[in-house]
Order: sequence, then structure tokens, then C-alpha cells
Amino acid sequence: MAANPPALRLNHVSFGPADARILDTIDLQLDAGHFLGIVGPNGAGKSTLLHIICGLLQASDGHVDLFGECLSRSSRRRLLSQVRFLPQRQESMSSMPVKVRNVVGMGLDDYHKALWFARRNNEQIAHALALTGMQKHAEKDFRALSGGQQQRVRLARALVSSPKILLLDEPAAALDARAQASLYELLRKLCDDTGMSVVMVEHDIAAISDFVNSVACLNRKIHHHAMRGETIPDHVWRDMYGEHMHIVAHDAHCIGCVHPEDKP
Amino acid sequence: MSGFFESQVMLEALGPATLIAVVASSMSVMVLAHRLAFLAVGVSHATLAGLGIAVVLALPLLPTAAVSAVVVALLLGVISPQRGMNEDAATGVLFAGAMALGIVLLSGASKHEVDLFGLLFGNILMVSEQDRFWLICGSVPVLLALLVAARPWWAMAFDAASMRAMGLPVQAYRLMLYAIVGLTVVMCVKLAGIVLTAGMLVLPAASAWLWGRGLLSMWLLSLALSLAGTWLGLYVSYLHDLPSGATVVLLLCAVFLVSRSAHWLLHHRKAGQSH
Repeated sequence: MAANPPALRLNHVSFGPADARILDTIDLQLDAGHFLGIVGPNGAGKSTLLHIICGLLQASDGHVDLFGECLSRSSRRRLLSQVRFLPQRQESMSSMPVKVRNVVGMGLDDYHKALWFARRNNEQIAHALALTGMQKHAEKDFRALSGGQQQRVRLARALVSSPKILLLDEPAAALDARAQASLYELLRKLCDDTGMSVVMVEHDIAAISDFVNSVACLNRKIHHHAMRGETIPDHVWRDMYGEHMHIVAHDAHCIGCVHPEDKP
Repeated sequence: MSGFFESQVMLEALGPATLIAVVASSMSVMVLAHRLAFLAVGVSHATLAGLGIAVVLALPLLPTAAVSAVVVALLLGVISPQRGMNEDAATGVLFAGAMALGIVLLSGASKHEVDLFGLLFGNILMVSEQDRFWLICGSVPVLLALLVAARPWWAMAFDAASMRAMGLPVQAYRLMLYAIVGLTVVMCVKLAGIVLTAGMLVLPAASAWLWGRGLLSMWLLSLALSLAGTWLGLYVSYLHDLPSGATVVLLLCAVFLVSRSAHWLLHHRKAGQSH
């Protein structure tokens, strides 16, 4: 085994029947501290790809390596204990009576032990809540929070165990522009400071391009994998979204875009 | 009140009824969190088939019913998500089929062999030593399972996908939950009968739902409300000579209505004050 294996490697990963692939021969590598954005149209297989990485779905072909080891039935529990996944927001779960700090606690391995094991992880929970700016709400009922606040609590739950890989499926969907920018900023900082790797599915490439190391354009296949600062060629967009799309310029004056330097 | 405590029948019923209330209210938290109320109804009706088999083959009633309920609950847990069949539909099919099978099997039995009214509506006042033994045998695994799996079950109800992505054996926990719900259902049948069992497994947590702030407070509140409803129900049934199981379930319904109304009034007042 190499001294420093990549945090994540996808080897020829395909999903779906051979004549109608949802994902087709995906190869991807992610080193520690790398922040990868995945963009693509609806039905491109973005969520499916995240589900394969965290073992919720089994690839039809190819395999996933986490920290240099193949993700399999036997290695699953050990490897995935260092991975956290933030699925798309679901409305249904907000109806359960749970305190905010207990929601965050669910992200710790300790939480799932039998009731007679003592748990001393209040500091970790407080730290995760502080990261997402929700420490004031620790004792509140999760149901009483707004959609955006709930999303920040779920993010704290994903961060509480200091995972080595974080997978996020449209995490900014319930957030306003300012909260979106601070989310991306936080993820960037965690990648730089802790070496955590992030794979994030997002629709808005303009919003994430200042923060990520690279962007993968996905529509069944990876059409292009652009490093930060690299311009994605027009033909890639047309390949992904079809001919009828208009490519408009994006710069610092775009309406609705919040740039880090604009923040108060 | 003194008459109640002097009645040998009532005193003998109090212990088993309390045990059933404890087990059922503890599981009711999970039944509500995982939305398994209809599954509980289906499995309770399916126990009639198990009881029918027990009568025809001359097997002990409670253990046979327990095995059949656990098997049925596990079948629903395994088959429905994989075969593209909605769990509601699968439960509905099983509900009718098992009930019909039970009636056919029991139709040949004489009235001395089986107390159909007791099976349907519960009969906690006729608890044999054997029943008492089987009730304890059933409670131990339910309470142990709760101690081991209450937190993962609770977290799964909140967000199963994230739990699976952490590498937790979610499907194993889910099957364990279904089996334990099946076992709890059979124990409730002794008190509330096949028809009213869902009341024991839904009402305590439903009454606590708006007041609880987490797993532990939900659990304790459901337990307290269930014990209050059960003891008061037994007392009222003794006082007015009413069927015990139905009175207990009626009292639990009353607790539910009072809880909802009190919550509504409290929030209405708060909202009024804030304007």
C-alpha cells in the first residue's frame, strides 16, 4: 500500500443496466484536503454517485476505494465510520421531538451504543454547533427551527465526528445567499485546516467556484474535470445540458452572487 | 377503592397489566417514530392465524402466537421493500388473509378450547400461571432490545440514510425492530385483544408526542401516561363492571384527548399573549 493513499478513488464505476447506464465508467481521485464540486443537470446521476461512495448503493461495475482500501461488505463499517453524508433535505423528519444537541450527537459513533454506556461528548457537540453558528439553539426543539437552521444543525451532525471525507447533496438548497457563502467558506477552511476532503453536489457552479479545488461536470459520464481557475469549455456545457442553453458571463457584479470580500 | 384492592381477580390482573403497559408504552415511542401503527394493527390481526394453528395442533397459545407474530413482522420487513410492494399494501393483504385463516382454523374448535371474545377484545382478568410466565418471557427480550437499540432506532427514524452511510447495520436494526414490535403485539393481545392492541401501541406515545423533547422524555412520559391509563382503566372497569381491555383503551384515548387539548390551549394562550 502506498504511504499516502488518496482519501477517495473511484475505479471505472458504473451504475444501472448495461444498455441504460445512469453512471458510466467514472474514474475520480480525491486527495486529503481536496474540495470537489459536482455539477450537472437533473437526472445526471450526481446523487447516485454520492450514494455509491458512501455504500448506500452498490456499483454495477468498478469499485470504490476509501483511504486506499476497497469498500466491501467486510470493510464497510470500519471505512464508513470516517465518512459522513448529508443527504438532500427531507421534510418528513422534522416532525420528531428531538433537541438540537441530540440531533448533532447522532453523528457520533458513541450515540449508537447501548444505553448503559456513558457518553461524554458534550464538547464535541458544542464545537460542531459553534462551527455552524447554531450554539445558541442547542437546547431547542429541532421542530421549532426554520428550514435553513435545520440544515445548519444537520451539517453540524455531519461534522461532529471530524470525518475524513464529507459528502454533501445540495446542502445550500434551504439557505439564503449569505448563509450559502459562509457554508462554502467553512468547508474550505475545514479542508485546509484539518485535511478533510469534501465532495459536494451543487447546481450553481458560479456560487461554488471561489471555494472548491476542482469541479467535475457530470452527466452520466464525467465530461470535464476542471481545476480552480480553469475555464470550462462551452462544448462541455452543451454536451451536458443540450444545445438550447445560453452561456452568460459571470463576474463579481453578478446580481445575487455574494463574494467573500463583500461579507460584512 | 378498598373493594378494588380486596378483589383477588383484580390484584392478580394488576401485575400482568402493569408489565404489558410498561412494554407497550416503551415500544409505542418507536412505533410512532417509525410510523409502524398500521404494521402493529396488521400483525395483531395476523396473530389470529397463529392462535388458530396453536388450537388445531394443540400447542401453547401465547408462544405459538408470539412466534407467528414475529415471523409475520419479519416477513413484512424483508419482502415489502424489495419486491416493489408498498408496506401498507403488504400489511393490508396479510391482515385480511391471516384473519380469515384464523377464523377458518378456529371455527372447528369448541367454545371450551378457545375464548374468541377474549382473543378479540382481551381478557386480562383470566391470567393463568402459564400466561404470567410467558408474559415475563416476552418482556425480557423487548426491554433488553430497547436498552441495546433504542438510540439507533431513534436515530434511524430521524434519518436512516445518514445512519447507513455511517456504516451502521440499519437493515439489521430495522428487522430487529419489526420482530420486537411483533412480540409486543402478542403481549398486548392478552390485555386489549386483537382488535384493540393498536391502542396500547400507539396512544401512549401519541399522547406524549407534543410534550416530549427527546427519546428519554418521550419514553418516560409515555410510560407514565400508559400506567395512569391502565391502572385507572382497570379501576373503572371494576367499579362499573365493564370489559377491562376496552376500558383501558378508552382511558388511554381520554388521556390522548386531554394531552392534545392541553397542548393546544397552552399554545393558544401563548400565541394570544405574544400578540
